[in-house]
Amino acid sequence: MEELYLHSLPIKEHQIVEQLCPGLKDEVMKITPVQKQTRAGQRTRFKAFVVVGDSNGHVGLGVKCAKEVATAIRGAIILAKLSIVPVRRGYWGNKIGLPHTVPCKVTGKCGSVTVRMVPAPRGSGIVAARVPKKVLQFAGIDDVFTSSRGSTKTLGNFVKATFDCLMKTYGFLTPDFWRETTFTKAPYQEFTDILAKPTKALMLDAPAEKIEA
Amino acid sequence: PTMAAEGGGVRALSQREQDIQMMLAADVHLGTKNCDFQMERYVYKRRTDGIYIINLGKTWEKLQMAARVIVAIENPQDIIVQSARPYGQRAVLKFAQYTGANAIAGRHTPGTFTNQMQTSFSEPRLLILTDPRTDHQPIKESALGNIPTIAFCDTDSPMRYVDIGIPANNKGKQSIGCLFWLLARMVLQMRGTILPGHKWEIMVDLFFYRDPEEAKELEEDEALGAPEYAAVAEYTAPAGDTWGAEWPGAAAPAAAVEAPAGAEWTGAPGLNEDSYFPTFEINLPS
Repeated sequence: MEELYLHSLPIKEHQIVEQLCPGLKDEVMKITPVQKQTRAGQRTRFKAFVVVGDSNGHVGLGVKCAKEVATAIRGAIILAKLSIVPVRRGYWGNKIGLPHTVPCKVTGKCGSVTVRMVPAPRGSGIVAARVPKKVLQFAGIDDVFTSSRGSTKTLGNFVKATFDCLMKTYGFLTPDFWRETTFTKAPYQEFTDILAKPTKALMLDAPAEKIEA
Repeated sequence: PTMAAEGGGVRALSQREQDIQMMLAADVHLGTKNCDFQMERYVYKRRTDGIYIINLGKTWEKLQMAARVIVAIENPQDIIVQSARPYGQRAVLKFAQYTGANAIAGRHTPGTFTNQMQTSFSEPRLLILTDPRTDHQPIKESALGNIPTIAFCDTDSPMRYVDIGIPANNKGKQSIGCLFWLLARMVLQMRGTILPGHKWEIMVDLFFYRDPEEAKELEEDEALGAPEYAAVAEYTAPAGDTWGAEWPGAAAPAAAVEAPAGAEWTGAPGLNEDSYFPTFEINLPS
């Protein structure tokens, strides 16, 4: 799984994630009906927000809109799995045991909502509103102080902001990363001989969806 | 052909200098009236009529760098060369032919690098483009798919997401053809297929874009017949070899010309000339 992140390989099929990341749980955060006006009345669809995670450093957020609630939820789960990111955890001070909090102060923004996460000592628990609390639980962060600003009523933006915040944990350069990275071969290069051979259609499920470009 | 203007041109020119001469002849050094700030390092000066001049020495070095990257890819088929513009299409096809890459000429359907459901889906290791502005769609997609990009950039080309930019004129047909020819030759030299220092038997003209009318005219000339030996510059070695072998002692025509009746003779040396080449007998100057 970490190899995917190391080489920034795009994840196209959600089954990959299921294979590599066992123990993924999902939770539907909210289902809102959204409407569009047509000359024959309104057309309502349902928008589902789903958070997926293994409580050990991986979270994903999926948003899907569909005509039926169930379809929306299913689609959102798939999208959430595709968008899984690693979360970096660190210590507040005293590196005993496993990392339990954010490594540094990070902040994420979506729309007008900004969410700020601050490292907390062990035992503080997740000090946050109900919504980001869920996301952080799925991420596997045990203790954190949060602060938010903006229209947090909009659940969509609030949850995207915390997600964005979590994504940034690995984007922050800290002294541990100062050492020069030894690059490993990209998988496309490593396996170039195998990849060169034309393989028969490996797709097990529904190859029928070929779009003629 | 040595240029008289080259000072002290008696000694033989190095490969690099010959290439630069060719580039000058093809107007590779002419930029445009605008200059992108990221291209400033490759620009030599601005002419009085506002056109920027590109430093060809740097162009040559960038070509070398690009060639090294291309050679580093083990499977040449994982390279995609692309051109949306007609001026680059022929060059791109020929380049792909000689280096083993894949060519896309014409429209790049959005999603070929990202949409796994498309029939034309491919995940190349490297992308080579003629113009970042007109080929911006493949650049965007390669950014999403971790594909390094090489592009021929003019002085006003946007360099976003272009990893190796080769400063050059990407507007003129000779310029584009010349650049691809040079790049192909460099790649083949580095791979060891051609020995450096020797002339590559494939001519630059093969990479130039031909207007459809121009191409039609040339074809009409051929069909009319053999007499025009000297005029036909397009035809290179292949025809000549077979002829030499077949007619060792006979007064074979000096220039290699494709005979209209070429299909008939299957290479039987002992037969009478007359029956096979009636037109020749009539038209030979002697």
